[in-house]
Amino acid sequence: MKVIILLDQIQSGLGGKEKADTALGGKKLAMGAADTIDKTLKKQDSSVMATFFCGTEYYEQNKEEVTGKITRMCQKMQPDILLVGPTYDYADFARMACEIGYAVETNSDIPVVAMVAKEKNSDTVAQFKDKLNIIKMPKKGGTGLADSIDHGIELCNKKVKKEDTDDFVKQYCF
Amino acid sequence: MQKKFEQVLMPVATKLANNVVLRSLRDGFLIITPLIIVTSIFLLIGNFPIPGWADFWSGVLGPKWSEWFSAVSDSVFSFTGLLACFGISYAYGKNRGLQAVHASAVAIVSFLIMTPTTVKVGKTTLGAVQTIYLGPNGIFLGLFTALVSVELYRFAIKRNWTIKMPDGVPPAVSESFDALLPSAFVILFFFLIRIIFSLTEFNTAYNFIYTMLQAPLKNVGNSLPSVLLYNFLASLLWCFGINGPTITNSVWSPIFFVLTQDNLKAFQSGAKLPHIYTQQFIDIFTTYGGGGSTLSLLIVMLFVCKSKRIKELGKLAIVPGIFGINEPIIFGLPVVLNPIIAIPFIIVPVLNTLISGFVFSMHWIPYTNGVMLPWTTPPLISGWLSTGSWTGSVLQLFELILGVLLYYPFVKMLDKQYLNEESAAAELDDVDIDFSDI
Repeated sequence: MKVIILLDQIQSGLGGKEKADTALGGKKLAMGAADTIDKTLKKQDSSVMATFFCGTEYYEQNKEEVTGKITRMCQKMQPDILLVGPTYDYADFARMACEIGYAVETNSDIPVVAMVAKEKNSDTVAQFKDKLNIIKMPKKGGTGLADSIDHGIELCNKKVKKEDTDDFVKQYCF
Repeated sequence: MQKKFEQVLMPVATKLANNVVLRSLRDGFLIITPLIIVTSIFLLIGNFPIPGWADFWSGVLGPKWSEWFSAVSDSVFSFTGLLACFGISYAYGKNRGLQAVHASAVAIVSFLIMTPTTVKVGKTTLGAVQTIYLGPNGIFLGLFTALVSVELYRFAIKRNWTIKMPDGVPPAVSESFDALLPSAFVILFFFLIRIIFSLTEFNTAYNFIYTMLQAPLKNVGNSLPSVLLYNFLASLLWCFGINGPTITNSVWSPIFFVLTQDNLKAFQSGAKLPHIYTQQFIDIFTTYGGGGSTLSLLIVMLFVCKSKRIKELGKLAIVPGIFGINEPIIFGLPVVLNPIIAIPFIIVPVLNTLISGFVFSMHWIPYTNGVMLPWTTPPLISGWLSTGSWTGSVLQLFELILGVLLYYPFVKMLDKQYLNEESAAAELDDVDIDFSDI
């Protein structure tokens, strides 16, 4: 399974809140938080083929352009799945992840999984939970991170293999 | 191994993190922390660690100048017990779904009910409250009063022991009447408690709590094993993505708070500083640049590493890192769920604790003065201000360098891994994905 991961500037290791103006970019590498996920993926003959990153403020100001470019890049690179997040309880990142994830799943043939914490994100979760598979994860510094990453990867696997995900989604998603 | 650790740690960490009493204690102390930081600055100006400082300003502003500053610092440091009662009852009331203002007001009154309000001077008895009951020694009494009074208040509210006002009465009035019977219940309880204690050899609840709880707990907390365990758990939990200090503070914060306030009171009055293991000791002499002592890690990243990713992150994170912000490293390097970095991330703070504990116990550096510096105060400056001696900065510098040496082999391992990935990706074609023309 080849995975593309979308992260914000903090999770991709490009700085803190002050770097929210980081422009959309990507590397054919597992950056920052994607590296943690890549390690688990590699154990099952899968890998992160690329990390897309975008500062949350940059996204806010260029929503249409960023969403369009990511959708087209996904179509061009043809990953098996796009994973948006883990966003923890970073509200701006969670909104960006869900909006882009929904756009990619709707406008391309690439399946999408999101990972979001419920804290600070109740509006975003309410808006997208019926449109997108959003794995429940802990807030920043909360308990249960490793488990939620396992759930995220398992759902990616199921979606790529086109298995039935109903029960799994009911149990681990919003 | 990681899984096993998680299976053991997770349930405990989750329980501690979600426990409403522990959470309220932590939140309650946080409510009064800004007041302590602000008034600490006044205290520090009044007692700046430069020889001749006090005399110089006495010459300029007159001999009373230090009183102006101590009036401000006294306003908080002599009332930390009362303020702890206020903060904790407010937080606990809020977390229990009550009108926090009412819950807190009743708690403060309960605390005052149990406080002796007369002072004997010679043969005359004056109506007065000694600040000893309201200050650091009263913190545990404040803490228990807050928890018990809010719990009793909630008990009454849940049973609807309220006077219902007809519709149309303004909310402020009806809320005030809602609080009437529950307040009466709580006050009656503490009235009885005061009487009961007056019949015992302890005479006051203050004496009982201080002797039976605060003093023994203080002794347990004020020890090297206690701080070692604190720092070990705080770092270990971060490696699993859990905010370690949030969990450990919920257990230790009342004790460290008391120890710190003791030193602060002593510093203010010019007495001998009593304790080594204060909150300052932990914040200023065991970790540099945030949990895991990541400033040492950052220095390695910046000056030794070759992979583009680590170098770039080092450059971006060094300035926030100097001021104790390490979020970009924790999630960006990442530290979270990274077994390679976990080893020094746990060892460095523990080793720093051992070294600092030894150095302070040998009296090579004056004890910390309890002045709560803003948490963004960079190392070297914080070491000097918190001890009033340049030797504090020297210890910080030594531990910072030692941290660099300890982080070095582990970060190099990570660097090598990233370099391999980067060169493998570069061999395929360009690593960067060009979004410009899509």
